[in-house]
Amino acid sequence: MVETGHFALVLAFALSLVQMTVPLFGSRLNNQRLMAVGGPVAVTGFALTALSFAALASAYANSDFSVASVWENSHSLQPMIYKITGTWGNHEGSMLLWVLILTFFGALVAAFGSNLPATLRANVLAVQGSIGAAFFLFILATSNPFIRLNPAPIEGRDLNPVLQDLGLAIHPPLLYLGYVGFSICFSFSVAALIEGRIDASWARWVRPWTLVAWMFLTGGIAMGSYWAYYELGWGGFWFWDPVENASFMPWLAGTALLHSAIVMEKRSALKIWTLLLAILTFSLSLLGTFLVRSGVLTSVHAFATDPTRGVFILCILTLFIGGSLALFALRASRLTAGGLFHPISREGALVLNNLFLTTATATVLVGTLYPLALEALTGDKISVGAPFFDLTFGPLMLPLLAIVPFGPLLAWKRGDVFAASQRLMAAFAVALAAMLVAGLFIDGASVFAALGIGLAVWLVAGALTDLAVKSGVGSVAPAVMFRRFAGLPRSVFGTALAHLGLGLTLLGIVATLSFGTEKILSMRAGETVELSGHTLRFVGLYPAQGPNYSEDRGRFELIGADGNAAGEITSAKRFFPVRQMTTTESGIRTLWFSQLYLSLGDENKDGSVVVRLWWKPLVTLIWGGGLVMMAGAAMSLMDRRLRVGAPSRRRKQASAVAPATLP
Amino acid sequence: MLFWVIAAILTLGASLAVLLPLAGGAKGASSSSDHDLEVYRDQLSELDRDAARGLIQPAEATEARAEIARRILRLDNADTAGKTSAKQASMTARLVATVAVLAVPLVSWGLYSQIGSPDLPSQPLSERLAKNPTDSSVDELVARAEAHLAANPADGRGWEVLAPVYLRMQRFSDAVAAYRNAIRLDGDSAARQAGLGEAIAGAAGGIVSADAQDAFEAALKLDPANAKANFYLAMALAQEGRNKEAVTAWQAMLGTLPPDSPWRGAVEQALAKSGNPEVASGAAAKGPDAGPDAGDVDAASSLSQQDREAMINTMVAGLDEKLRQNPRDPEGWMRLVRSYVVLGKADQARDALGRAIAVFGAGSDEAKKFTAFAASLGLTATE
Amino acid sequence: MTRKQKRLSVIAGGLAFLGAATGLTFYALGQKASYFYMPADLTTASVQPGQRIRLGGLVEKGTIQRGQGATVAFSVTDTHKSIKVTYTGILPDLFREEQGVITEGTFGPDGVFVADSVLAKHDERYMPKEVADGLKAKGVWQESKSE
Repeated sequence: MVETGHFALVLAFALSLVQMTVPLFGSRLNNQRLMAVGGPVAVTGFALTALSFAALASAYANSDFSVASVWENSHSLQPMIYKITGTWGNHEGSMLLWVLILTFFGALVAAFGSNLPATLRANVLAVQGSIGAAFFLFILATSNPFIRLNPAPIEGRDLNPVLQDLGLAIHPPLLYLGYVGFSICFSFSVAALIEGRIDASWARWVRPWTLVAWMFLTGGIAMGSYWAYYELGWGGFWFWDPVENASFMPWLAGTALLHSAIVMEKRSALKIWTLLLAILTFSLSLLGTFLVRSGVLTSVHAFATDPTRGVFILCILTLFIGGSLALFALRASRLTAGGLFHPISREGALVLNNLFLTTATATVLVGTLYPLALEALTGDKISVGAPFFDLTFGPLMLPLLAIVPFGPLLAWKRGDVFAASQRLMAAFAVALAAMLVAGLFIDGASVFAALGIGLAVWLVAGALTDLAVKSGVGSVAPAVMFRRFAGLPRSVFGTALAHLGLGLTLLGIVATLSFGTEKILSMRAGETVELSGHTLRFVGLYPAQGPNYSEDRGRFELIGADGNAAGEITSAKRFFPVRQMTTTESGIRTLWFSQLYLSLGDENKDGSVVVRLWWKPLVTLIWGGGLVMMAGAAMSLMDRRLRVGAPSRRRKQASAVAPATLP
Repeated sequence: MLFWVIAAILTLGASLAVLLPLAGGAKGASSSSDHDLEVYRDQLSELDRDAARGLIQPAEATEARAEIARRILRLDNADTAGKTSAKQASMTARLVATVAVLAVPLVSWGLYSQIGSPDLPSQPLSERLAKNPTDSSVDELVARAEAHLAANPADGRGWEVLAPVYLRMQRFSDAVAAYRNAIRLDGDSAARQAGLGEAIAGAAGGIVSADAQDAFEAALKLDPANAKANFYLAMALAQEGRNKEAVTAWQAMLGTLPPDSPWRGAVEQALAKSGNPEVASGAAAKGPDAGPDAGDVDAASSLSQQDREAMINTMVAGLDEKLRQNPRDPEGWMRLVRSYVVLGKADQARDALGRAIAVFGAGSDEAKKFTAFAASLGLTATE
Repeated sequence: MTRKQKRLSVIAGGLAFLGAATGLTFYALGQKASYFYMPADLTTASVQPGQRIRLGGLVEKGTIQRGQGATVAFSVTDTHKSIKVTYTGILPDLFREEQGVITEGTFGPDGVFVADSVLAKHDERYMPKEVADGLKAKGVWQESKSE
């Protein structure tokens, strides 16, 4: 089974070489048969990669230590769920997951792309194939997960305990679905550049793919943030860690792409810019892969460090980013620019959004790469952390967030800011009220915190206003209003939900940072501590035994207002003997949207234990907002507009007369 | 063999994915402008819907309609891309197709023959552990014992057998846990307490810590003559710098130890070193059965025949016990019978065979299988 | 304004915006980035009290002292020189004697480094990259130790 997986991987590589070349020749020679090869090859390549991945996963599940990667990252006593998730909890396996998703998306284009023009489809599959070929080669040459050990060791070296968590089951696959999803947008862009023309169906394809990738990336980042929050025991949800930035940059660029693709689809404007943005977004995804996988960064995520891998990925990076940008420079002038618009219009607002988002991406890029560049050039080692990003990223985001509610209310081509402002009056009043309440009635609220709360409420209210205005609240009868509301295009709901989610996330961030409280103290069993109105009693430390670890469980009782126990929180220090590593399991209790977070420190000589506890008001909204944004993207995807574009036979006949009926 | 068949089938499938579209008929493709037209038509109908719903103003709608119409008109000019000469194109196409079809098997088999290990079968842990014990390596035996104990953590005897093996393999913290479990389940004994002390000292790099001393003292309470406990307690004295007391204790040991005791050598060695201040170092703190340089000896090969047998016996006993509780397991019975035969315990093997047949009924298929199986091992049922 | 003027003003506005963002970025890099030092570097480099830096090295054996509540004092060393560090909070799980560590904070007037974050991101195969490089450069750490 293991060797079958290995062989399937090699075979998938061979097919990716075919997929990379044959359809491209086909489109150059205008040969239908050569172009038709792309589809079946993409689907078969995916099937083989899936077989290969299944073989590796089964080796992990069955603790087959004759496979080197299993031996290094698994242990027979691990619970089954972590045996399986361990498949991608290491460098080799995660790269296999990467190409699995890549070929999966390629196969989707092949399966559902029958309504695309044949040459575009062939070129897209060829570009997709070339990315696949590069990564298959990378895996086979430097990170082969199927390297065998003979004789096989009897026991593995265990998965890094930090990764033995459900978060690992979800975070990397979501993140990769996002990263790799942008490869489709990239392939479409490069295909358009190869052909020298942008088809009308181009935008219709790029937009749903951007939505899919963006949705998963949003989920991946939110999941990763929550995972770091509860697993690392520091109580922080975002560290401006280079690896986090690596996933955040494609998200920012992808958000810009999402918005410019709307303009492109609706108005055929910003074509060239959208194309460039698609290339940049995937380039940033590749850069993210490079930063994490090469181990050039000091980071909690860099569990794989190997210079040959770094050099190899750097070559892939240079080839694809350099190649696509060179092609862009050569061909962009051949593409025709699109429609015109007034600066104050929906398009104008979206351009402004793009300007802010791409600049923000650039600041994050500089903050992430500058320390690397400086070290390479001068040998000085610096670290760029939260203070830098607070000063650069923050000022860029504030005005952007402030203008978000205006965008959807402006008309295409020529908008009226005054009318939009009038419609937003109610939202503005609500936001102002929230700001005043926060500033005046919450102890210790700074001006900045009040402004933040106001801004967050402004975003939420603005999103609701958008829906209200579009369903005609206040101008039509309630019955009509409900009918219009129900009949609104799904994409309108998508926009509103995404902006609402953004507001919720902001609300969570501001509330946690401004009103959160923290205490560090050493406690003995029986002592109580009070934090922001919550009383906790330390019950004591109790040893316990897990499947592959032993732990000291610190039990805490939450004392209710009546003086009785109202629930229990446990935080534990886990010791994993195989790796001789200790991890802290934080104790979290969610009260509405807020959380009481508790983390156990070392035991002092006198028997007391260091305890750090936080009150984190509205903290769950940070990730809840992410989920709402994902829901918005899913809603937009369901819009019927995104499902068409095929010349069906019936319609083709009708099309002969269509132009005549136009005004 | 099976692997090569699968590999050949996969290669065939992959090659067909390339070959079939090439062999298929050329479909009349719709031109790009047809696709564009379709998209524009859809945009028009969407515009109509939005206008009907009142989402955009009528004036805006008219303007947008005109813009889409202009795009449609532009389409006619676009479809004028030059075509390569048909003959040359078909030559190149044929060449590309041939290379592509050949590339799939050549690249895959060529590359795999370089990097693959086709002769190495999969080795899932459960399968390796189910092998005949005499074929297994020490590591496998330990793993098997661990699996048994993970399933039956209350098997005190199992822990007791495993503990010294851990000690020998220098897995001191596991040894500590195993001795503690044995004591918890089967009660105190001098040997267990002394073993625990040795394991704690081993985990501390040879330093006889207070915890270790407690264990040794507990051993002495049960058996004042326990050599291991006496030896290590003296070592503790030496490590604390109380050399004289240590020497006295060791000399007292020499007086009481039976002449053939394996501890004599260790005590003499310790005494010889006790003039030397280095005695306090952990390196000297090795029991006699660990050998002079046990740390360097490969843990697996240092496992004595005795220990190996003890371990196998435990595991077989465990299996026997399991079958008493859970008798409807024909595989298990066969394994048990074979194990007893391998261990040379013909009586117990016969007993097991009899019990197995009794469970399934004398006339059952299983019973026949058991009898045949036993016969193949040279064993006959006596009843 | 003519159409051309309008377009020019839009472009100029965009450029001014980008210029401002670039300026801010480089200002922030100069002000907010913190430099990384090993203890021995600090004899040559001058670091003002109050300037934020990262200090990396090994936790010196036998120097960990737990004081009142959750305050911990320890020394960070590169074997040439060691510097006393105090930190209030929960030490990371991987914090151990003679293991690599990165602390971030400022020097107090008494020469004690007051850290507000302590990172010990390594397992037996991995040591913080800056620390490993620094120790290698000082000839303290051999490659074989990383395995």
